[in-house]
This record gives sequence, structure tokens and C-alpha cells, in this order.
Amino acid sequence: MELVTVIPRQRLEGLNLLGGPTPALTPPHRATLPLWLALLLKRQRRANISPPPWLHPTSLSAILTFETDHAGAAFSPPPRLPPGTTSSPPFLPSSTVDAAADALPYHWLELGEILLEAAPDDFEDPDAVRRLMRDLRECRMAKLRAGVEVLEAGGGFKMNGIGGMEVSEGRAFIGGVIDGLRKIGASREQQRRDKEREERENGYTATAGDDYDDDEMDM
Amino acid sequence: MAAQQKLRGRQAHTPGPTFLSYTPNGRKLITVGLDNPIRVFSSGSDAEPVNIDDCMDSNTAIVATNTFFVSGSEDGTVYKYSLETNSQDTLLTRCSAVRDLALSPDGNWVAVASDDLVVKVVNTQDMNRVLYLRDQPKAAKHVAFDHSGTYLAVSCTDGRIYIYSLSSEEPELVKTVDGMIKSLEPDSEASSKVLWHPDGRAFATPTATRDIQVMSRSDWQRQRAFKTGHTGDISAAAWSPNGAFLATTAADQKLCLWDTKTQALIKTYEDVRATILALVWHPTENILSYTTSDGELYIHTNFVPTEHTKLLENALQSAPFIHDPLDETSGNAQRKLVNGAKNTLVMREAREGTPDSVDDILGLDAMSDIEGDDFVVDDDGAGYADVVNGLGKRTNGHLDSISGTSKRRAYGSHSFQPQIHESFQPGSTPWQGNRRYLCLNLTGFVWTVSQETHHTVTVEFYDREAHRDFHFTDPFLYDKACLNDNGTLFSSQPSGKSPAMIYYRPHETWTTRTDWRTQLPVGESVNAVALSESYVVVTTSANYVRVFTLFGVPFRVYRQKSSPTVTCAAWRDYVLTIGNGPVGGDGTCRLLYTIENVKRDEVCQSEDVVALTPGAQLQSVFFSDNGDPHIYDSRGVLLTLLHWRTPSQARWVPLLDTRLLSRLASGTKQESYWPVAVAQNKFHCIILKGADKNPYFPRSILSEFEFQIPVSGPPSGKGEGDDGEVEREQSDQQRIEEVFVRSSVMHALQSDTISVTRATPSQRHALAALEGNVNKSLLQLLALECLAGEEHGMKALEIVGLLRDDGSGKILGMAEKVADRYHMDVLREKIRELAERRLVGLDVDDELE
Repeated sequence: MELVTVIPRQRLEGLNLLGGPTPALTPPHRATLPLWLALLLKRQRRANISPPPWLHPTSLSAILTFETDHAGAAFSPPPRLPPGTTSSPPFLPSSTVDAAADALPYHWLELGEILLEAAPDDFEDPDAVRRLMRDLRECRMAKLRAGVEVLEAGGGFKMNGIGGMEVSEGRAFIGGVIDGLRKIGASREQQRRDKEREERENGYTATAGDDYDDDEMDM
Repeated sequence: MAAQQKLRGRQAHTPGPTFLSYTPNGRKLITVGLDNPIRVFSSGSDAEPVNIDDCMDSNTAIVATNTFFVSGSEDGTVYKYSLETNSQDTLLTRCSAVRDLALSPDGNWVAVASDDLVVKVVNTQDMNRVLYLRDQPKAAKHVAFDHSGTYLAVSCTDGRIYIYSLSSEEPELVKTVDGMIKSLEPDSEASSKVLWHPDGRAFATPTATRDIQVMSRSDWQRQRAFKTGHTGDISAAAWSPNGAFLATTAADQKLCLWDTKTQALIKTYEDVRATILALVWHPTENILSYTTSDGELYIHTNFVPTEHTKLLENALQSAPFIHDPLDETSGNAQRKLVNGAKNTLVMREAREGTPDSVDDILGLDAMSDIEGDDFVVDDDGAGYADVVNGLGKRTNGHLDSISGTSKRRAYGSHSFQPQIHESFQPGSTPWQGNRRYLCLNLTGFVWTVSQETHHTVTVEFYDREAHRDFHFTDPFLYDKACLNDNGTLFSSQPSGKSPAMIYYRPHETWTTRTDWRTQLPVGESVNAVALSESYVVVTTSANYVRVFTLFGVPFRVYRQKSSPTVTCAAWRDYVLTIGNGPVGGDGTCRLLYTIENVKRDEVCQSEDVVALTPGAQLQSVFFSDNGDPHIYDSRGVLLTLLHWRTPSQARWVPLLDTRLLSRLASGTKQESYWPVAVAQNKFHCIILKGADKNPYFPRSILSEFEFQIPVSGPPSGKGEGDDGEVEREQSDQQRIEEVFVRSSVMHALQSDTISVTRATPSQRHALAALEGNVNKSLLQLLALECLAGEEHGMKALEIVGLLRDDGSGKILGMAEKVADRYHMDVLREKIRELAERRLVGLDVDDELE
């Protein structure tokens, strides 16, 4: 459940929701609410959403410079976990005002888009944020695509710090590439097996297999 | 004064744009025009001017010092000429057609506005040293140095003013002012020049509506304007050397003289035959010289009419502010120094009168030939700095007065005067431009806009559903306000015959609204007001505390023991008043506070000390939503008052030191916190960036900070490897210790509150939770000590002794379990002993034991 911080403009008693009770709203005290409720209140003009610090233009541009100039092929790291927590990123409040300003959380793309659409007037400079989000997204997608080059059967690609939406966006493409590679690999494998079987049937069982075994012994 | 002599034009150049400049000593007047001799006139003589022939044609700008002058021409060359030999000296720079020049007050730098996009600032001694100002997107039309030489204003042809700071190595754009000047063609006769007022705190520009608008330099707010009524575009304007007058002229061929203080027209001269393109005041005498587009030079003696000439001889006049920050007397304005000068301008005046001042020894214009090397030149037409300050040093009008000055003066002065704390209204700001906040709290905010004859007051709420925003026209000029959920309280100062007034306006009632006004006795002015849920409190200049009910019934009047009063706050039946008490060792008054319950007529705390560190000032006083008094001082520390209901038990406890906030730890941020309120155990404030002192419009959002009692410093340095582990443990321990101290304080506050009120279940629950927090943090500390090893056993036992037990021994049982988990058998035995002693009541606090 993603939580965001709102500045209410009206009083509202606490609600007992399935996900737990919400705090009572008293303007102008900030309160942390589930995203859907915050969006509902925002639409009814009963609250203002205060965007998380990482959606501030300065932090976004800092992250962008890190991505382009310093990180190389890696992604900027995800927010650090608070000490002693047992839950993992999607279940941590990472989009409240107390969130870290220097790291993109798991749902950064979705939240950024949603907040920019629902509450552009709560941003200081929504256009700059939009532009920076776009830059970041393209920069990171490029890295993701570049990573495909190393994706072979045994290849690996480090995706630390990647967001949920980016995984989904890349899934079709990467999945397709891997699947294609697998198919190519599969036909080659099939050929090799056929060849081996033929050889076995023809009676040359000794050489190839023995060599292979020896190699393994050496290792 | 003799009758005005007939004004006679001198044909200086062939018809065409002509410009002029005085040398700062006023001895020479130099004109440039279309044809090539540059003419150097001597002031006060009718002799033929000296001609300098070896120069460019069609010069468009000139600036002069006592020894040299610089002129720029249409062909883009900027030459320096010597006034000693009256000949061309060096080429300073080359660019496209020069539009304007400005010389820094020390004569070392000349700024060149040309048709290039870049404004060059060239050193007059070494032409290879050039600063480039590149931020303007179009060509510059005018440039102007301020009187300290720190700022350069570039009037760009795109209709904006770009103000650069030249104090650093690399010029820095400090401000872009939009909407002041008109977008003009580079070669148009109209002017958009920035005219720095000689006092250095403001500048003026011609506007698109043909007025002269003044803007302050400190906060970039528009101040007063001169409604010139010219029917053509303003082509030139200049402040008189002391800033008391402004001369303007326009394409309608009128020359007007204005009084700075009142912005009133003094005189209009209509005998102008061609558009005046440049006008300059004589640095010391009552002469205004101007050149027209016909190539003629006019030297207008006795320009200021006789009845006003006294003003011209006065010392530096201040710029026309709407609310001059130096004259501010109300509320929480800039604090005045009691011992030192009231403001810098007056201070300068006083120095002139001292018997051995440098001015007396050297004479006002002594710098003419004696030390006429690199003396102040100012050719922006705004007046001459040397009259302003005889030594060519910049005035310190731009500096805030510092308390150090006052201290030094205190020793030298004959009579010692204690420094008292100025009175202020919590939650309000001083005037900035024509606006100020009267009250800013968690209910909403009240702000007022000055409209010359009246104010307009606007009240806005955070809770849009419960209250409706309102605004009204205010002829009484309310200068203090309080706002809560029930109503709004205003107070005005006495003015003329009408005495001070209190006005209370409830928000909503079930009958018709019953707002009321009360007038204070004649001669009494309001120092501070406070509004609680049941009373209205007013502290006045006569040291009375006046308490009214919410319907205007005078309830109590008593004299405050400590005086003069500083401020007051109220919560339900409790009233907190603060006044200046006896003088402390550092010459400042100790602040004393009194808290009383006005309903029961009981004094809770009488004339107790408001604990401030030396040199710190009280910035705000308020009650939290739980009803505990809080203060915030100028050092950024929030303190609360513990045990304040019991007489002489009260203690100031720091809750938050904003200088130690983790967001400032990097050291790169410069920000301050403007206190608003304490509610829900959080500190609500407005974050001010940079050197801002007060919030301004649009209203910035509130930020909230958790309390953090300054218990221990941050962990020392950054550790690597193994050290990191140790440090993490240390910071863990510090964090838990802080939680322990904080929850103890909160517990004490809460239990005090509950002991005097009928506690609601939720309050009792909160109290239990706080006690739980205390015990939890202690148990965590205990666990850390147990982890550290057997040798920490003594400390562990001590921590166990601090646990708050409700008599059931449950908490000690938990401590036992902790010890058991870490296999500290000795400790466990000791804890069991302690538990047994407690059970039989042996372990009580007894000093006689």
C-alpha cells in the first residue's frame, strides 16, 4: 500500500479501513494516507497532496546527473532501508514527506505520473518535474536495453534500484530477447544431442565423452 | 538669493544627441556630442571651453573622475582621456555601438553597455582586466553602479533589469526585475536607466506609464512612485546629490523637480526648447546642467527654488519607502539599538558635527586637487557620492546595525542605558513592501495590505469547511491581530485624537454576530494582544494588563510588575505576560514572565526568569495545543516550561535545537525556521531560505519537526570498517537516550496537565503510552549494556533503578528477563533483590536515610 502525505483543508474523523485506521485529519496538520484516499480527497478539493522530496526538481536533477555521469551502466541505488525493518520496498512508506530525497523508490514512475496528473498545482514547478521524470525514464530505459547485450544463457545483468514499472516495461522486450536466445540455443542443443546420439549409435562412444569427463575431473 | 538669471544655452556641439558629466569635485563639466571636439567647461566661468580634438565622432556616453574621463562612441570604441593633459590616453575596449557607460564609485571599473549581448566591465587602469556579464538575452541600454560599487544594474532592451553583484570574483546575477521598465529600442531617446538613490537602499526607474517607480534593494519590493504626469517618454532623470530631490524630464520638453519625501511636484520648467537627453546635478551647488538633442548645453543655476534650498544642504535623505525599515516603530520591527545609533543615517549626521571630523579638517570638497587621484565618480545621473560621504567610503546604509556597535558606544557614552527587549506580537511579521502578516498560526493567517489611506485586512483559514475566509477595508490601521477558532482580535494604535482600539470579531455564532470595539484610555498604546478561548488580553504601554471577556466585559486590570512589557500569550484561563526585568551583566534586561489563572485569580508563576542565553532574543511565545507555554529564541531553540502550574517549580526545558537538525548537518544549507506553533507534539514552522528573516507572500507551506532534545552531540566523524560498527552502536545508544529524556519530559508535562483537569480516557491512554515509552527506552538501554558485557553491570543496574514501576513489579520482571537472556546472572539476582525491596517499600526516595 503506497502512502502519501496530505495537508487537509477540512476536518475528517479517522476511518477504519481494511488496511488499518487512518489518522483523523485536522487542517493544517499533515497526515499520511493511502494513495487512493489522498487522490479522492484531492479530487474533492478537501486536501492538498504534498509531493515526496524525491519529486522535487533539485533532487530529481541530482539523481539524473548521478545516473548519466557517475553511475555508468548501473542504476541509482534504491532508498536505504530503515534499520530493523522486516518489510521490503513496496510495503514501506517511500512517498511520504519523510522519504529520502536522494533515491528513487520502487514505484517512482507510477507515483510521479499519478501525482503529476492528479495534483499538478501542489508542485512548485510541475513542468520541470515532468521533464526531469521523462529524462530519467529515458536514461534508465536506455540502460535497461543496453543491458540486453550481455543477456545470454549464462549472462547476468544487475538491476538494483530499478522500479516496478520499469521492470514491467522491459519485461516484454527482455522476455522476447531471452526467449529468442533460448530458441536459438534450443535448436543448437537439439543439434548437439542428435549428433551425440548418432555418434553413440555409430559406436564412437569413447573419445568425445571421455575428453569431456576428463575436463571435469581437472576442474 | 539673486533672482534667477536668464537661462542661456551654449552651443556645445552640432545639433544632435549630446551628453555631459561633471567631475566629482564639480570643477569641470565635460560634454560630448555628434562632432568631434570634446568640450571641457570650467564651472563658474564663462570662458571658452577647452577642446579635445583627437577623439571619435558621435560620442554617446561619458563618465568622469577628477583626473580622467571615459567616453564611448557609436563606432564602438571606449577611450580614456586625461584631464591633466586634456588629451586622449588609452583605448579601453572595443565593441559595437556604445549606448551607456557607468563608472564604479572608486573609479577603477567602467561598465560598457553596447549593442553586444554582453556587458563588459573594464578596469580603467588595466584594460586587460575585463568582467563579462552575459545573463541578459538582448542588448543593454543602460548600466548603473550603486553607490557602494557592489551592484551593477543593467537595463536591458527586453524590458527587464538585470542586477549583478560584483563583490565576488565572478559577477553574479542577483535579481531580474520584470515589469519595471519599458522595452525600448537601443537608440531611442527614452530612458530606462536605473537611478540608485544616494542612500543606497533603493533605486528608481522610469516606467512604461511614464512614472518613476522606486524599488527597495533589500527585498525587491516596489515602494513609492512619482506620478510625473509627463506626456512623453521620460528621457532623463536624476536624484539630487543628497537624495532630497528628483529631477525628471521627458520628450514633452518639460523639466520637473520633485520632493523625494512627499513625491510632490515642486516646480516645472517649460522653457526647454529640445528634448533633454542628459541631466546632472552639480555635486555641491544648486546647479543642474543638461544637454539637449540640439547639441546645446544649459547650466541652470539656482535650479531648486529658494524656499527649498535648505533641503538641498541637508545631509543624506532616505529613499521614499512605503514603510521605511529604519523608521519602523511598531511591533516586531527591526530591533532598535538603545545605546547606539538609531539608524545609520542619523549616525552619519552626528559624525559630521564632531569637532575633529575628517570633513572639518579637509573640508567638504578638499578632495578636489589634494587627493584627486581615484576619487568617486558617479555618472549615472543619480547624484554624487562624495557629498554623501566625504571620504569616498561607501555608506553603511546597506548593513544591518549590529549590536556590537551599541556595546562599544555604551562604554564611551556618558550615561549608561540598559538594552531593553522591544515588544512584539507573536506570530506577526514587520512590513515588507506594503504587506505584512498580522498573525500566523495553525488556525489560519491574517494579513494586511497598506493602501496609503487605509489598509485591507484578509483573514484566511486552513480549515475551509469550518470557517469562511473574509476580508474588509480597515480605516483604523490595525497593526496587531490574534486568531483562533472562535474569533479574530484586532488592535490599532492611537493616532491623532482617536485613542487605541480593540476590536473582536467572532467567526460564527448562533445569534447575530456580536462584534465589539473598546477604546483604551487616551495616551495608552497597545504593546501586545492575546486571545484565548475565553478571554482577550491586552498589554499596554502604561504597563497595564487588561483582560476582557469574549463579549467585551472588562474583567481584570492590573499593572504588570516587570516593565516595559514585551508580549503576552493566553490559553483558556491562563495568561502569560512577559516584561523587561532587572538588567543583567551584559547590559540587557532579563526577561521576566508571569503566568496566572485569571478566572480563579491565582498566580502560577510570578516574575520568573525567561531563560535565554546571553545575546539571544525572544522570538516567539505561544501555548501549545495541550496548553503548555513554549518559547522560541533567536538562536533557534524551542523551550517548554515544565511544572509551570506549581509556583516556583517551573523550569525551561529545551525541546528542539534547530541548529542541530539533521537536514542542516551537511552544512551546505542555510535556512532558518520561523516558529508558528507547537501541536500534536510537533514543532510547526516555516522554513526560510537564505538570509530571510520573515515569511512573505505567497504564503509558504508549514513544515513540522519532531522534538529532539539536545542530549548529546552527533557521533564524532565518519568511521570506516570496524569503527563504523562501534559508531552505529554509539549513535543507537544516543538515540535511545534521547528518547528516554524526551519521553520523560513529555510524561511530566502530560501528568501535570491530567492532574489539574478532568482527564479524558484518551489523555490517560496517552499518559500510559508515554510511561511505556520511557520504560521501553530504558529496557533497550539495558539490553545494550548487557550486550556490552559483564563489566557494564553497575550501569545496567542503575538503569534498572530508573524504571518506572507501577508497584506490580511487572517492569522489573521484564528487566530480569533481559538480564537472563544475556546470561547476566549476577545482574539478575540484583534486579530480583531490587524488586523485593520495592515490593516491601524499602526503596523509596528518602533524603534522611
